[in-house]
Amino acid sequence: MPNTSVIETRALTKTYGAKTALDGIDLSIAPGGVIAVLGRNGAGKTTLIHTLLGLVRPKSGQARVFARRPGHSLNRQRTGVMLQDADLPDGLTVREHAALYAEYFDDALDFKTLAGLCELEGFQDRLYRVLSGGQKRRTQFAMAVIGQPDLLFLDEPTTGLDPEARRALWRVIRTLSERGTTIVLTTHYLEEADRLADRIIVLDDGRIAADAPAEDIRDTVGGAVIRCATALDEASLSALPDVEWARLSGRVAELLTRNTTATLRALLEQDPALSDLTVSRPSLEDIFLGLTERAEPVENGDAA
Amino acid sequence: MSRTLRVLAAETGAQILINLRQMEFIIPTLVMPAGFYTLFAVVLPGSSDNAAYLLASFGIFAVLGPAVFGFGVSVANERERGWLQLKRVVPAPAGSYVGAKLMATLLVAAIALAEIYAIAGFFAGVELDQPVWFALLAVHLVSAIPFVFIGLIIGFFMPSNGAVALSNIVFLGLSALGGLWIPIIVFPPLMQTFASYLPSYHLAEIALAVSGAPGERDITGNLANIAIMSAVLGLGAVIAWANQRS
Repeated sequence: MPNTSVIETRALTKTYGAKTALDGIDLSIAPGGVIAVLGRNGAGKTTLIHTLLGLVRPKSGQARVFARRPGHSLNRQRTGVMLQDADLPDGLTVREHAALYAEYFDDALDFKTLAGLCELEGFQDRLYRVLSGGQKRRTQFAMAVIGQPDLLFLDEPTTGLDPEARRALWRVIRTLSERGTTIVLTTHYLEEADRLADRIIVLDDGRIAADAPAEDIRDTVGGAVIRCATALDEASLSALPDVEWARLSGRVAELLTRNTTATLRALLEQDPALSDLTVSRPSLEDIFLGLTERAEPVENGDAA
Repeated sequence: MSRTLRVLAAETGAQILINLRQMEFIIPTLVMPAGFYTLFAVVLPGSSDNAAYLLASFGIFAVLGPAVFGFGVSVANERERGWLQLKRVVPAPAGSYVGAKLMATLLVAAIALAEIYAIAGFFAGVELDQPVWFALLAVHLVSAIPFVFIGLIIGFFMPSNGAVALSNIVFLGLSALGGLWIPIIVFPPLMQTFASYLPSYHLAEIALAVSGAPGERDITGNLANIAIMSAVLGLGAVIAWANQRS
């Protein structure tokens, strides 16, 4: 069957001992666009990337990249990779690293173009050892794109970068996306997914908790988290207007709302005695809770 | 030039640059063998008598350093930093990583040997026939095989700071206890027995025989020993490699 997907997985599973890292991943990624894989630490993001690269063998299920087995040498020729925690040797300059990488690929960018694209000017002849964190990340990124890949994997590309360096990397990612590169990036920064992604896949406990165009997720995510000490029970909290989800531990309530003002007004009306009120932007954790609860409605009634 | 050869050449060049930019690598490989040989064969009184004898064993010493440090320390470090993982996702030909390390090791070893040969020939008054020089060079370079396996085992099994410590112990231990610095005959019997379990000892004996040093030797025994040790170490290296991949 002809297949136009860049990535196709079916019931992909991977376990490490007793821990399930991937639990039945079904995925189809068409060419083009930026796909953000979101999830907290341990959600299975890196395992998914490693499986698609052929670094990790799945326990069961199927994975196809460019309609071939992951890690095939023809795939590697068309794929750029920036791994989390994968560092380059200290003892080469940026330019020397690029010269070595250029030999690996059929159609490598020349150094001048690469340096311009990845903003390497100013430190291109310095040893990797003496580069700042941001410069190292940019160099690793440059090695990922030097082969002009059709598919680019970026595993937490901006972790540990300062805001300016992060924005610089976002610029380049957008440029490459405009040129038609399919980009799969993992992140735990919601903002990063927000700014870059055309499609967001949320992983939770090795499962796909959500998979939707970015706007859709953004719409469901907007709003705020309200925390307070209240006498209300969970059912009445959930019944408040515009509440996505609510949970109660002891007297402390937490709820995610789409409309802060409306929810707050109703909340104060029903429990004038509530205290310790805070309103904050939802963290990724908050959103996951909403997404996973919607995916698997809570059926057990024990609120103890 | 084919892609494979081009990548191998580029990778070897990069590896040599990385090695030569590290003092921790240069000192045991390019400084210590020549320095020690100068001390033992040129400077110390009565040393010129020993110069030819020591040339054979110091040649093994000169190859040991690049092999153990070039593989042990650098593989452990690169594995720990994720560089090995990155190597597996680029379209580099299979084996180019280890192949390049081997080329780089042999090149550095050749420089270290050239230093010692020059000191021997020009300052220590060692005179050997040309075929003997070449035979000695061949023995010295081939002696890299078991040492490279040792380096690979260290590199694939040990965390990087442990690899530095262990490489130093192996480097100094194989040298001193294998009789590379001081002839084994002056050792107490127990240490002589111990030396017979070390590849460095057997390689030095073979090099001594090739250089025409006097004394009775069991070359067949040395060759058999070194073949068995190399096979066992090679197997260990393959196991270590498979172990880190999974």
